[in-house]
Amino acid sequence: MTTLDIKRSGRHQAANAPAWARAVLEAFRAEDIRNLVFLPDTVMGRLLALAEADAQHFFRLVSVHREEEAVGILAGLFMGGQRGAMLVQSSGLGNALNALGSLAMAYHIPFPLLVSLRGELGEFNPAQLHMGRAVPGCLDALYIPHVTLRGTDDLETILSGALKTCFTTEGPFGILLSAQLTGWKPEA
Amino acid sequence: MERLEATRAAVELAGESPIVGGVGNSTFDLVACDRPRHFYMWNSMGMASSIALGLALARPDLRVVVLDGDGSILMNLGSLATQRTAGVENLVHVIWDNGGWEITGGQPAGSPFGIDLETVARGCGFPRTATVSELDEFRRVFAEAIADTQHAWVIVGRVARGDSPYRPSKSCIGLRDRFMVALAGSS
Repeated sequence: MTTLDIKRSGRHQAANAPAWARAVLEAFRAEDIRNLVFLPDTVMGRLLALAEADAQHFFRLVSVHREEEAVGILAGLFMGGQRGAMLVQSSGLGNALNALGSLAMAYHIPFPLLVSLRGELGEFNPAQLHMGRAVPGCLDALYIPHVTLRGTDDLETILSGALKTCFTTEGPFGILLSAQLTGWKPEA
Repeated sequence: MERLEATRAAVELAGESPIVGGVGNSTFDLVACDRPRHFYMWNSMGMASSIALGLALARPDLRVVVLDGDGSILMNLGSLATQRTAGVENLVHVIWDNGGWEITGGQPAGSPFGIDLETVARGCGFPRTATVSELDEFRRVFAEAIADTQHAWVIVGRVARGDSPYRPSKSCIGLRDRFMVALAGSS
């Protein structure tokens, strides 16, 4: 697969949203996951643009200034009776580790934890390598289950299955987006 | 003023509002006035303001109260900007300013170095803010904030140093369930 033509400036267009983004939002809709709590990166930006353009206005986008905040907001949403998802880059997962352990895991707060993976395939930025490749290990260390999406085969099955397990487990569930699925930028 | 007295006043005046406690003594004094509609954190310092935002978003019919610590809000200062970005007005955010980290040995933080948390909140765009030092002042301002359903409030309450002897249950899942049942039953 070749590098994806990702816009370097301007907003993402919902009409150009990739198939994986549509599949994620449909899986969320089926599980009544309406709050998308995010700090954007270029990959998530494409999914968020699609969510914003939703004809039924099903999704509420909640932006944070540091990814750790998303864990607290999702805890408040869940205890208040609403489901949500956390959308961050691998770097952002690093910023959220203690809250994931001491709040989400300890207090049994379920939500899908979407992580776009830097530092794996096609990485141009040397500073992204370390937290990027640490993602699976960090989740394992916290006993947070996770799946990695690498292609569009069985996407709907994996997504719906992961979400079902998430709410049965009553904790965060990692859905890791490989650059094999989402593409990568050749340079900044 | 004494943090425990001010906490008792807040609980009394909060009516049916859920109350989120910050980690450490902010929560411990709240335990002294325990209600099922209190949420207590054992760690995740700084997350009280974020949890309160999530609650406010999920339950626009409720007025959500946070009793936070100065050290806690300093750890998650960006959350004040996040609250304004989210556009919720159903939040009353009290910050107990005792000039430092209490439970860890009283190391100074925040106001002893000239940090003015009310000004920080104003700078983030909070429409209503106050700093109070006396209990009767706090009662008056907090009651006004609870009644003012059109605006989010940040109230900095200057309190004395001192540890609280109270502790919440160590069953985190129990605390979660009790809180959720209380919320489901209130409107």
